[in-house]
Amino acid sequence: MAISLRNLSVDYSLPQGTAHALRGVSLDIEKGELLGLVGESGSGKSTVAFALMGLLANNAKVTSGTATIDGKSFDLTKRNATAALRGRGMAMIFQDPMMSLNPVFTIGTQLCEVLRRRSPGSDRKARVGMAEDALDKVKLSNPRRRMNQYPHELSGGMRQRVVIAMALLSEPALLIADEPTTALDVTVEAQIMREIIGLRDRIGCAVLLITHSLGLVTEYCDRLSVLYAGERLESGTVRQVQRQPGHPYTRMLFDCEVPIDRERQADASENRFTVISGDLPDPRRRPPGCIFNGRCDVSFDDCAVINPGDYPVGNEAEHRARCLRLATP
Amino acid sequence: MSGLVATLKRICSERDGRLGLAFTCLILVFALVGPLVSPDPNAIDIKARFAPPGVMHLLGTDNLGRDLMARTSVGTRYALTLAVMIVVISSVIGSLIGIVAGIAGGWVDRAVTAVFDIVNAFPPLILAFALIALYGKGSATFVLLVTVVFIPQFGRMARARAQTLRTLSFIEAERMLAVHPVTIVVRHYLPNVAGPIIVLASMNLPVVIAFEASLSFLGFGVQPPKSSLGTLIKDGFISINQSWWPTVAAALVLAIATLGATLLGEALRRVIDPKSAGVR
Amino acid sequence: MTDAISISNAQLRFGETAALDGVSLAIPQGTCFGIVGESGSGKTTLMRAVLGLQKLDQGEIRILGNPLVHSRAALKQRASFIQPIFQDPAASLSPRSRIRTLMNEVGTVLREPHAAMHERLRVILNRLGLPPGVIDKYPHEISGGQARRVAIARALLMKPSILIADEPTAGLDVSVQGDLLNLLQDIRRSDNITLVVISHNLAIVRLIAENAVVMRAGKVVEGGEVGSLFKSPREAYTRELLAAWPGVTQSKPTG
Ligand SMILES: Nc1ncnc2c1ncn2[C@@H]1O[C@H](COP(=O)(O)OP(=O)(O)OP(=O)(O)O)[C@@H](O)[C@H]1O
Ligand SMILES: Nc1ncnc2c1ncn2[C@@H]1O[C@H](COP(=O)(O)OP(=O)(O)OP(=O)(O)O)[C@@H](O)[C@H]1O
Ligand code: SF4
Ligand SMILES: [Mg+2]
Ligand SMILES: [Mg+2]
Repeated sequence: MAISLRNLSVDYSLPQGTAHALRGVSLDIEKGELLGLVGESGSGKSTVAFALMGLLANNAKVTSGTATIDGKSFDLTKRNATAALRGRGMAMIFQDPMMSLNPVFTIGTQLCEVLRRRSPGSDRKARVGMAEDALDKVKLSNPRRRMNQYPHELSGGMRQRVVIAMALLSEPALLIADEPTTALDVTVEAQIMREIIGLRDRIGCAVLLITHSLGLVTEYCDRLSVLYAGERLESGTVRQVQRQPGHPYTRMLFDCEVPIDRERQADASENRFTVISGDLPDPRRRPPGCIFNGRCDVSFDDCAVINPGDYPVGNEAEHRARCLRLATP
Repeated sequence: MSGLVATLKRICSERDGRLGLAFTCLILVFALVGPLVSPDPNAIDIKARFAPPGVMHLLGTDNLGRDLMARTSVGTRYALTLAVMIVVISSVIGSLIGIVAGIAGGWVDRAVTAVFDIVNAFPPLILAFALIALYGKGSATFVLLVTVVFIPQFGRMARARAQTLRTLSFIEAERMLAVHPVTIVVRHYLPNVAGPIIVLASMNLPVVIAFEASLSFLGFGVQPPKSSLGTLIKDGFISINQSWWPTVAAALVLAIATLGATLLGEALRRVIDPKSAGVR
Repeated sequence: MTDAISISNAQLRFGETAALDGVSLAIPQGTCFGIVGESGSGKTTLMRAVLGLQKLDQGEIRILGNPLVHSRAALKQRASFIQPIFQDPAASLSPRSRIRTLMNEVGTVLREPHAAMHERLRVILNRLGLPPGVIDKYPHEISGGQARRVAIARALLMKPSILIADEPTAGLDVSVQGDLLNLLQDIRRSDNITLVVISHNLAIVRLIAENAVVMRAGKVVEGGEVGSLFKSPREAYTRELLAAWPGVTQSKPTG
């Protein structure tokens, strides 16, 4: 399904005040497309996912936002706006695998439950077979034995793969994967991405991939959106953004990536990691001007006062970023 | 505090929850306000025997001319107090025993489970008679009895929860910091066991109320001249040919109380423990 | 000098699975040691055994030369110098306690004055890029990466001399990951702590660790000084890992 999210704003109320976790975020995912969502830790990526799934915490409030799914509009400020779509229509792989696993049931029971919900009439034997098959696809060794194990008997990476298998089995129209492969090594990660892409090719689902791995995004995603402190700073196709990042934050993020071939130096001070210095702004009070001002390495006077709009980068209409340097003078 | 408000809000978001809450509040008001606005529940007035409901006696009178409004509300208050006391004591003791068994494992766990099994092997009424034979009739025996009967339920649930909690990394993180074991139990096990225990407790309230009523009905609970819902139903039942009011009034209160508590308990379970209700 | 951790012939089975199958290794004091390997190869199990959370079927573990003892007194004593960072970030924070409460527990254990402890905490939170406001939240009110950093801050607050971190950078963006690794390196140098990093991120192990081992199916399949280990890996698995690395570098933007 094609999904377009418009102007999503989410507040969290806390004793210390209201934190604006998202401010007017828009995303588009076409049918059969992989959208990568990256951004600083705490920038609101999971909040986007939770808002779509209708699983926001009790103290959260959607202050604006609509989701258009296959032409049908949902007002996200209403509670349970997307409830109808959850079961069959959307599936989410949570960042913390234990959030989707019940510690008191075996892996097999939980996988079969997903299948039972998808097609209630099916035969139990067939379900077990399909579940084992799914575990095999995510490269879990000895699926038959895993079926009878409890979540705590699996390693961190195995748990993560069980959750992925669960999501794949539900054959959703929109798959939201929140950091699905953090505990997995690159070979398994590649296999999982192949499975996700396989599912997409087979049933044409849309995929929202939330990740910190720029490598993953550039290898597997079609398009990319960059979130920072609750605002979308850049969006475009992966090729466009890779060739010419429109926003300084995106460029600096790419610069922080640790290349695999960087070698250790004898002098320990040579082994520093590149970082973006400075802090995230206070989510309760947005400073005027550009949200990235203060950490940006190419900022100028106007940045502190003018809030940049969403400008096209280069001549490409699809590639946009919120930086004053792009505004045509 | 905001947690409580949020919980109430979510309970009120469905019909059963609203109904349960309304019934429970009704009974609470009846039990708390009733005795204040009616005459002495034990004042005998032979001239006014079996009076129908009226201005003087809102719910009429019984065979000795005692005011039934007063007696029923006092009886309700008594039944509620007993029930709450029993459920609170047995859930706290049960949780602590269960948590300790779940953490300790090994022979401690086996011993505790065995004792739970033995207690549960006797039907509650048989156990009741045995205890009454030992300690005599009266409310103290009753409290002791029902508390003992209910401990295993809470204990089992707490034990099962504690066993899963023990495998989670936050408990291991606490242990690795060498935080005092008592602190770990009180601060990290109890609050995480509390949800399902509270739900179980609220679902047990009506069971205790009904259990008390049935024991009192059989004459083993509250002793006269005190009144409880069970004795009221029994007394009314004896003289049902002269007047059907007393029985119906007390039975109605019993029904509303148990129904209200059950509905509220179910709603609470759906809110606190959504997984067990099949949501998600 | 005695090794910070030495393990000889550790064996542990869970039913049919041999989680540890004769693991032997020595981690010198004051160094950084990397453990990499397939998912399910026994890395976490090894860490839990070293922490005394998991008894071995066979084999011996020595910490700073002393054999590991499974008693409460020993555990308490160990807590003062060895601290873990668990793999599952959110699950390693007690869900019904505010983060402030969790941090205060450390102060109670260390018998450190409240103000002094919070001053140290402020510095650590700041270096990890966490806003000071996080300590008034509950664990479910912070993001995954923030939970990871809170757990790390708590372990660091104990001033351990040995820190075992299970996937410390998973779920962190590259910039915050850099902050964390720089902090760990600084602490390591200033306090001379021993750092054990379990990670599937070969690029960072290569940069921060002096020595590393590669585990597979409960065994150490190869190990040694990181430079030579990654330059000319003997094992097919290690080569596979290096080859499958998704890189952004080759097509990195110019300018
Ligand atoms: N229930 C809540 N109450 C208050 N604040 C919250 C709550 N949930 C999240 N937050 C805050 O909102 C911000 C965004 O959180 P979110 O989980 O969406 O981040 P994220 O982008 O997924 O980060 P990460 O990559 O670390 O998982 C964070 O600063 C977090 O502390
Ligand atoms: N409590 C347990 N009961 C049964 N089996 C277990 C238990 N704990 C671990 N195992 C098994 O031991 C093996 C090693 O697990 P471990 O958690 O050490 O892997 P790992 O190397 O940390 O993997 P990952 O990178 O995925 O976290 C796995 O096959 C796992 O299923
Ligand atoms: S608007 Fe200014 S501060 Fe913001 S990103 Fe552009 S140059 Fe940097
Ligand atoms: Mg997140
Ligand atoms: Mg592990």
